[in-house]
Amino acid sequence: MSRFSGTLLLGRERLRVRAVALAMGFAALAGAALILASGYDPLSAYAEIARGSLSLAALPDTLNWATPLVGMALAAAIPLRGGMVNLGGDGQLVIGGLIGALAPLFLPGAGAFGAAAGLILAGFGGGLYAALAAWGEVRHGVPMLISSLLLSYPAIGVTSYFARFPLRDVSTGLPQTLMVPSDARLHVLSGPLNVGSVLIATIALVVVFADRRTSGGYELRMRGKNARFAGYGGVRLGRQAVWTMSCSGAIAGLVGAIIVLGSQFRFIDGALVTPAYTWSGLMAALLANGEPVGTIAAALFFAALQTGGFAMQRETSVPRVLTLVLQAIVILFLAMRRGLGRRM
Amino acid sequence: MVEIAAVGIVKRYGGLVANNGVSLQAERGEIHGVMGENGAGKTTLMSILFGLQEPDAGEIRLRDAPVRFRSPIEAMRAGLGMVHQSFKLFGSLTVWENIVYGAEPRRGPFVDRGAARERVAELAERHRLAVDPDARVRDLSVGVRQRIEILKALHRDARILILDEPTAVLTPPERDALFAVLKSLASDGRTVLFVTHKLHEVTAITDRITILRDGRTVVSLRTADTDAGEIVRAMTGRNINVTVEKRQAQPGEALLKSVDVTIASPSGKRVVDGVSLTVRSGEIVGIAGVAGNGQSELVEALVGLRTPDSGRVEICGRDVTGADVATRRTAGLAYIPEDRGAVGSASGATAADNLAMGFHRTAPLASGPFVDPSAFAERARALIRRFAIRIASERADVGTLSGGNLQKIVAARELSHEAPVLIAEQPTRGLDVGATEYIHEQLVAERDNGRAVLLVSAELSEILALSDRVLVMFEGRVLADLPQERADEQSIGLLMAGREAEAG
Amino acid sequence: MIQSLFTPFLFQSAAQAITPILLAAVAGVICGRAGVFNLALEGQMLVGAFAAIVGSYFGHSAFAGVAAAMVSATVFSLILGYGATIFRGDPVVIGIGMNLLASGLTAYLLRVIFGVSGTFSDPGVVGLGRITIAGLAGVPLLGWAFARQSAVTWAAWALTALISVVQFRTPVGLRLRGVGEQPEAASTLGIDVVRYRIVAVLVAGALTGLAGAQLSLGAVSVFAEDMSAGRGWIAVVAVMLGRNNPLYAAAACVLFGFADAIGVNLQSHGLPNQLTDMAPYVVTLLALVITHRRRIIGAA
Repeated sequence: MSRFSGTLLLGRERLRVRAVALAMGFAALAGAALILASGYDPLSAYAEIARGSLSLAALPDTLNWATPLVGMALAAAIPLRGGMVNLGGDGQLVIGGLIGALAPLFLPGAGAFGAAAGLILAGFGGGLYAALAAWGEVRHGVPMLISSLLLSYPAIGVTSYFARFPLRDVSTGLPQTLMVPSDARLHVLSGPLNVGSVLIATIALVVVFADRRTSGGYELRMRGKNARFAGYGGVRLGRQAVWTMSCSGAIAGLVGAIIVLGSQFRFIDGALVTPAYTWSGLMAALLANGEPVGTIAAALFFAALQTGGFAMQRETSVPRVLTLVLQAIVILFLAMRRGLGRRM
Repeated sequence: MVEIAAVGIVKRYGGLVANNGVSLQAERGEIHGVMGENGAGKTTLMSILFGLQEPDAGEIRLRDAPVRFRSPIEAMRAGLGMVHQSFKLFGSLTVWENIVYGAEPRRGPFVDRGAARERVAELAERHRLAVDPDARVRDLSVGVRQRIEILKALHRDARILILDEPTAVLTPPERDALFAVLKSLASDGRTVLFVTHKLHEVTAITDRITILRDGRTVVSLRTADTDAGEIVRAMTGRNINVTVEKRQAQPGEALLKSVDVTIASPSGKRVVDGVSLTVRSGEIVGIAGVAGNGQSELVEALVGLRTPDSGRVEICGRDVTGADVATRRTAGLAYIPEDRGAVGSASGATAADNLAMGFHRTAPLASGPFVDPSAFAERARALIRRFAIRIASERADVGTLSGGNLQKIVAARELSHEAPVLIAEQPTRGLDVGATEYIHEQLVAERDNGRAVLLVSAELSEILALSDRVLVMFEGRVLADLPQERADEQSIGLLMAGREAEAG
Repeated sequence: MIQSLFTPFLFQSAAQAITPILLAAVAGVICGRAGVFNLALEGQMLVGAFAAIVGSYFGHSAFAGVAAAMVSATVFSLILGYGATIFRGDPVVIGIGMNLLASGLTAYLLRVIFGVSGTFSDPGVVGLGRITIAGLAGVPLLGWAFARQSAVTWAAWALTALISVVQFRTPVGLRLRGVGEQPEAASTLGIDVVRYRIVAVLVAGALTGLAGAQLSLGAVSVFAEDMSAGRGWIAVVAVMLGRNNPLYAAAACVLFGFADAIGVNLQSHGLPNQLTDMAPYVVTLLALVITHRRRIIGAA
């Protein structure tokens, strides 16, 4: 047991669980105050969140929402583990989504091949775009924190343009591409769940394993603790930055393609960005400081929170945006307790 | 008459008692030396005098009246000034801005620049501390910066000046200039407290000395009435000689070579100027020189953390110029860096992780791209045993370790590479006597095992004790390459100040 | 086409576009000088923008809106002020957290107070009027820019000049510069570093509130979710490019403001707005790359 938990929860991370619990308690209280002030009942609101996410009927929806959220959380966590920040998830997401929507339409070959190609190319697209930000820092000294964020605006703008003009499905009146043929869609498992969830779950396991059991994971962890130490010890920091961001962007791109090929079946302008998977994912990663297992746990929790939020809004009229407020309060609380954040 | 006195000062930090009933008395117009080894409690005492901390017991008396300083501001108002070991200056601000900072002459809501500059010029003239009021501090040399620190205190009309290890960063001629200033201040009726662990300085300039050991005052002596031996005995409780037992060197082939390495700063100034050196197997080559003369940059170029503008670096016969750190380590290099905290280790990571760096891609720690955590742990345990590192377990965070133990972690890792070439930079800085002796023994052992050791240190005594050959760096150039027999403090001191001809 | 591009209207809309970015950038400069890395400009502006709408609607005047904006943004800034000093939090995490909190909170309050989502506009909201100075209309460039602007725009430039003077000519400014560069040294010389930092962050907060007021009450009186739309990040870049100097940061803001205005202008020439909206961000990125070319960090 100890060997397993030693692998599962690395040492000091255990101490953070208490701080996280405290943060959640504080956020719940602050949220309750806000709900009360808005004229609603906090207890029934919270009860609906729980019921609407964890009940047997709601579980498939929660897991479906968790799929992209966990994916984007991992995308944010990987660089964060090494002390780097990727704020360009939205841009990488839409690039992957558009590629995923177009591949089955434009590539020769039918059905599953189109889907597979879409997924792979989406990963490439997102990875390359994220690597651009890393390259900007390595070669030109432009901080990737800023450049990754700034890059997402052009990405969103260009994909939006394509969806509204050249590649638009003119038969509908909406800014979206043509439907992905039904044989190229991700295989449905049950209800809203599709193969994409399995894919993300697999990636999650791979990330955890890589973090604990590969030399690349070790080097990334050490860089996160002290980048100068890693460099002095022989880690090629520039290369590591580019590879790390590439993996991050690749996962983000993949998530975009999974959403398109698994749920929406076309690239719809704005649809990938509106649910705020990127930012909730980032918050989950920050909560766990980039540590993969904690990140996944936090992402699952946030997924439940947000799915429950839909039910809360339906049943008690409390706007579901509240769940994002609660998440932000948790992050800020943790940031204040001197445990969270990179060693600057 | 007694200007300032500390009576029975006690200060604890958790379980550690830094000052255990320390007393000190300095008279007006006196230069009073405060001596002791690293960890004796000198810095703690001075920070209490200056109001940076408050004592747990005891009192401070100013001209026989008890005072309490809750902050440096109160101490400054009472007439104390302090020049710290690491300067507290603002690089981007000008000299005059630094000097009047916090006590600015005003004209309405604005800073009165004219009055400020005038005041600075006047103080500089009166105390013979030449400075250019409009220069930016970041462009200035260490010696000038120290003058600015002194002027800062004088601007606030300090009657008592505390200097903490002021000569650590000065060349011998700069040191002499400082001593002249201190003498002039003393004759002006000011009191100078001079903290140092260097014997020859204390005998040169002080009127009286207070010696601390293990947080207590051992004795207070009149400088004229005592000698080096008595002082050392008081400081250490035993007769110490800073020599290290070692056999004659048996140098073999050249393992580390630099050929005409040059590094220029963006402004064009040559920080490292055509340095060629050779370190052979079985010898320790020491680079002496005041910090800031290019040693750090040269080491970075040798190690691969910086690319020189021209020149060549060879490790074990392989040309590694332009190669990165990883490649050089494979070629046979190990490196104990100057800054064990910021570079040599990762605080927040376990000892096992820290000790694995550099080995994490080779067996037994790794096979292919995968690593084995239990192998990490085993290796760490073995090293902890071998180097007698005092730590709870290999899973403990190295951030909790004392300086000496952390340095042992760094040394343990680097030495266990058993690399043919070892570069050690300031390896004993901030360590107590025991840890220092240990590191020295390890370095000599490496050399006896046929390694090529390059030692860079600002502690001249360490260089002289350990090196088979001594190089002196001044302003980016190697001025001399002396065998141990011909290296003594006087000739090296002159070379460190750039005076080649006189060194002979 | 160049002729039709550089019209008086372009300069007017550029000056208008610059205002919120400029105020946010000056706010960022103040924080930077104090040694607090402020990434929350985006969220602070958003809070200000929302509060301005609320204040104007319930207070029936633009002044009430501006006051509400400044107060709200200042209170919001307490998170960064205390978080980065007394609580020793990582300013990057705090900044990102604040941005997300602002986004969620304003969206929530939009629904709860006004009962709508997405955007809100109402005739009950009093916008910032324009101050028209007839004589300026004939003066090329600067005159075109300032002939018809809100009071906030004028205030923005006045404040930029004021902050610049304070920073370089007064004791407070000198001490602030020291606090940011070497807080330990400043502290030894008797400066209360924590107090300086908190006050700096709060003053910066007030400025971002003003920026937000310009955003929502400046042109058309509308609040839209996430309407700061990346301007806060552009301000962060302006601060970086300006090396914490208000005047250099202002120059950067002018560049970005023009890019924004030219983008809008190109829309009227037929280019789709999805592409032209990108203009300021692309220009920002290019500016970053060009200026950082000179300071490449060492071996990879």
